[in-house]
Amino acid sequence: MMKQKTNVTAFLVLALSLFLGVATADEIATLRHGTPIDSESDPAAIPQVFDGDIKTKRNYPMQPPLIPHDTRDYDVNLQANKCMSCHARRRTEESQAPMISVTHYMDREGNFLAEISPRRYFCNQCHVNQTMTREVLENDFQDMDELIEERAAKSKDD
Amino acid sequence: MTVSRREFMKANAIAAAAGVAGVSVPAMASNVITGEDLTRLVWNKAPCRFCGVGCSVNVATLDGKVVATHGDIKSPVNKGINCVKGYFLSKIMYGKDRLQTPLLRKRDGQYHKEGDFTPVSWDEAFDVMAEKFKAALKAKGPTSVGMFGSGQWTAMEGYAAVKLMKAGFRSNNIEPNARHCMASAVGGFMRTFGIDEPMGCYDDIEATDAFVLWGSNMAEMHPILWTRVTDRRLSASHVQVAVLSTFRHRCFDLADIDIVFTPQTDLAILNYIANYIISNGKVNFDFVNKHTNFRRGDTDIGYGLRDEDPRQKAAANPNSGGSKPMTFDEFAKFVSDYDEDSVSKLSGVPVDRLRALAELYADPDRKVVSFWTMGFNQHTRGVWCNNLIYNIHLLTGKISTPGNSPFSLTGQPSACGTAREVGTFCHRLPADMVVANEKHRAIAEKIWRLPAGTIVGKPGFHAVLQNRKLKDGDINAYWVQCNNNMQAAANINEEAFPGYRNPDNFIVVSDPYPTVTAEAADLVLPTAMWIEKEGVYGNAERRTQSWYQMIEPPGESRSDMWQVIEFSKRFTTDEVWPKELLDASPDYRGKTLYEVLFTNGHANRYPLSEISPDHSNNESQYFGYYVQKSLFEEYAEFGRGKAHDLAPYEVYHQTRGLRWPVVDGKETLWRFKEGFDPYAKPGSDWDFYGKPDGKAIIFALPYEPAAESPDDEYDLWLSTGRVLEHWHSGSMTRRVPELQRAMPDALVYVHPDDASERGLRRGDAVKIVSRRGEVRTRIETRGRNRPPKGLIFMPWFDASRLVNKVTLDATDPLSKQTDYKKCAVKMVKG
Amino acid sequence: MLQYFHKLRRDIGRPSVHYSIGALTLGGFIAGVIFWGGFNTALEATNTEEFCIGCHEHKENVYQEMRDTIHFTNRSGVRATCPDCHVPHDWTEKIARKTAASKDVWGKLFGTINTRDKFNAKRRELAEHEWARLKANDSLECRNCHDFDYMDFTTQSLRASEQHSTSLAAGEKTCIDCHKGIAHNLPDMSGIEGY
Repeated sequence: MMKQKTNVTAFLVLALSLFLGVATADEIATLRHGTPIDSESDPAAIPQVFDGDIKTKRNYPMQPPLIPHDTRDYDVNLQANKCMSCHARRRTEESQAPMISVTHYMDREGNFLAEISPRRYFCNQCHVNQTMTREVLENDFQDMDELIEERAAKSKDD
Repeated sequence: MTVSRREFMKANAIAAAAGVAGVSVPAMASNVITGEDLTRLVWNKAPCRFCGVGCSVNVATLDGKVVATHGDIKSPVNKGINCVKGYFLSKIMYGKDRLQTPLLRKRDGQYHKEGDFTPVSWDEAFDVMAEKFKAALKAKGPTSVGMFGSGQWTAMEGYAAVKLMKAGFRSNNIEPNARHCMASAVGGFMRTFGIDEPMGCYDDIEATDAFVLWGSNMAEMHPILWTRVTDRRLSASHVQVAVLSTFRHRCFDLADIDIVFTPQTDLAILNYIANYIISNGKVNFDFVNKHTNFRRGDTDIGYGLRDEDPRQKAAANPNSGGSKPMTFDEFAKFVSDYDEDSVSKLSGVPVDRLRALAELYADPDRKVVSFWTMGFNQHTRGVWCNNLIYNIHLLTGKISTPGNSPFSLTGQPSACGTAREVGTFCHRLPADMVVANEKHRAIAEKIWRLPAGTIVGKPGFHAVLQNRKLKDGDINAYWVQCNNNMQAAANINEEAFPGYRNPDNFIVVSDPYPTVTAEAADLVLPTAMWIEKEGVYGNAERRTQSWYQMIEPPGESRSDMWQVIEFSKRFTTDEVWPKELLDASPDYRGKTLYEVLFTNGHANRYPLSEISPDHSNNESQYFGYYVQKSLFEEYAEFGRGKAHDLAPYEVYHQTRGLRWPVVDGKETLWRFKEGFDPYAKPGSDWDFYGKPDGKAIIFALPYEPAAESPDDEYDLWLSTGRVLEHWHSGSMTRRVPELQRAMPDALVYVHPDDASERGLRRGDAVKIVSRRGEVRTRIETRGRNRPPKGLIFMPWFDASRLVNKVTLDATDPLSKQTDYKKCAVKMVKG
Repeated sequence: MLQYFHKLRRDIGRPSVHYSIGALTLGGFIAGVIFWGGFNTALEATNTEEFCIGCHEHKENVYQEMRDTIHFTNRSGVRATCPDCHVPHDWTEKIARKTAASKDVWGKLFGTINTRDKFNAKRRELAEHEWARLKANDSLECRNCHDFDYMDFTTQSLRASEQHSTSLAAGEKTCIDCHKGIAHNLPDMSGIEGY
């Protein structure tokens, strides 16, 4: 436990110094959290899958929504597609789950089909669960709304 | 060289007004914002940064930032969809730990091998780097410098690097990481057909009746092609899918015929199918007699280990790709040993499964596409596997026609475009030419405007050998660009790591992020990535695609292209070329490599005025000419008229790519088939023109065991591989929080009985131990991969769990590609 | 146990010389109990997972599939074995189920499902039997452990509590209506409501 804490602290210090562009350390590989290449750290416990059913904002409209619940033992194969038992159009009234996007009813040529398009059949190719891991690096991606507001504020100033 | 923010915005506004490469869509405006000009996004197209499928994406920028990406509806490859990685492309540039300045290991203000990384200027970085390269060249000559590049370089970056290394430094020690990825596929193509890259294309998917996956987990590694396979399978009920692997994975969810075989026995299964076709009278003799020759290949060829390794010494014909002609009857006799009972016993595959699989190929009324990736290529008999799958397609004539396609998939976005077509290998030149061939060297020297004899005829050190040579101190100055080889190379404990940290060596790593490889280096160069530069990628179906620069790289980051060309300014011919060469061509005396290679009047022939008015182009603005177009057009000279024809550069900016050879403005969908391929001779029907007699070769090659198999102590097979959510070593995708949370750690996938027999259970911390090292991780007994008893699988994306400390650096002796799929390990608690 | 049987056989095989009618009646009663007990013991022996997976058809198919699922491995280690779900606890129903299950013996003898492919070909039919049984008995075997009265909706996920507090509470739905394929892979689900 103690060791883990030291690692985390070391990582934070390291990350901070890197962000400021004054790296002085030897271990710069951020994803190794300060463990030298020829050493092995304690592997973190397998994190649990988020199951809170709380939707997260998409980074942009076209981003496939993340799965806000556990999907353990869900069969999606030649025999069955468990996801569709809630997310298919005809199932959503009962399930109150979001309907799969209209694009999912379109074939390669853009024609609408009665059922989910077979090209979209394997949900996990685009939609993924989220574990509650703590090992996440920060990302500076900026939301378009934020940039537009900055822009609007600026144009008012001009 | 940089464009001011205001200029950049202006440029974007023009692009938006013209609606150049996409559609302009106003973003959702909240009520505080009015005016379309405030909310308009600028859209441009680009090929995806990740795998070899080569999806096209639309990228939206706003005020110099990427704000959205989505699948390009106009692209025939992906028709509007992406995989989960592709959908998060917007965020890969914005990891908070992006490198901003060069970092040099220093102690007391000086470079020191054991020093701490210290920010330095580009000038200081290149000064030290040039000094080290010059010192190595002077002391030991061209073989003492090396470069390790990438199938993720743009084609022109790879081309510039080849020129600098092979012509500038006269060193053939340049390799792409694609050596780890598809060298066996190249070997297979060259051996069977005499010309590289698939004959078919993705259109085969919609035309076929059966898919056979040989060691390819397309559902995770080629997700968008998998959507096309799924589409075909579920849309047409007669279509069958066979999946072969050494463990069950996501592709098995779509499998009609599921086959889990004992590692290495794919060789026997392939020969069994040939035997089945022959013994059931299903050979297409019309095709076979006209278009094929039979040859018996040399056997017992070793395992590509160091020469002193006992396994290498024991081999009768180490590294031999030799072969002798044979007849059809002799071939039939050869494969007759591979009967269903003995192959079933060897492979562990039930006879009914073997028969069902063979029948897919044998049935003359069924079109078949075979897909393979790393299961075949990362194999100590990888070239053989490739040869043997072609055997089956050739025996049945199921090749080069819509829906009949032996299809080697590639892992990287430009493994085909940059590594193979440009020839960034130690033995290659552009357009399938090789350094060992004097005529080929002369062609290159002519196009490059260089004196005869500049290029050295002896091939350089291949990727695996480079790490061995670093360890042995034979390579002393080494530049790694656009890859993460300290995480990706096999047996890093015994070879790569001691090689990089060898006090005699100076290691430079160019990367956008501080990777494991960067940490092992002495100098780290911050690098512009993807749409921070203009470039071209070539995908697995021979499709060449281009993109413009859309945003500025952060801090002092520069593209690999800029780095290579700028570095060339620091060398003169007198410093790096021998006296004889300069005496014979005195005009070249006293010139910098920059002048000789990149501004010789030919390599810089397109002016700055031709760059897109709507986009930045940092490299061109810095060097003063249209760098990308000039290099592309010079490179294209190699292939035009030689069945590798590329279209004029601009065309790629206007289209969603074209499949070469592009002749008279038309792309080629199926090569070697008259009517589809303009290079197939009239009346030939099929013309395998890579071979002098137009005939492809059917090879007799046996099953031979793996380099290392489980024994009493190391009692498990270890297979390694990739995952859907991360791109290769994860240096980009693990900085996207959504992808990191989806797949946070590399776990070891274990059969529950193998776990319980060792007193282990899901979640336990374990050590995976081989003769070479150990890695610690945790056990997963359920989830997406289901190994059979006796085999475990661990992905390699995780920088903190370096599974390549454990793997064996045995290679295919012909292709020199590492077998990452087979070594012997034990698993203990801890 | 074996000694009991030996003694019993000895006793039955001998004519009554020393015992009275009363004693014989008592003996018969005891023998009846013993026989009854033996029958039930034997019956119970067939009600164990070990017995079920003694047949490779069960062991290689449904059992392997169950090993990943939450009914086999979960945070508290409380797990279901084959009979918990597939054999009624009530005696009469148990006998009826056992009689129906004797078909498995025929299946075993004739190799109806002795390969994975054959098993998969019959998977829908076999699953339908179980769905029908559980539908008819209002998911009795589920409810042996999952008692509606003691469910704490507030600790369930939002989706679950919503369904349980409405459809399940009203008796419109029973467990198996939604929870198909929870312990084994699903068969081809085409045409099944909810899929």
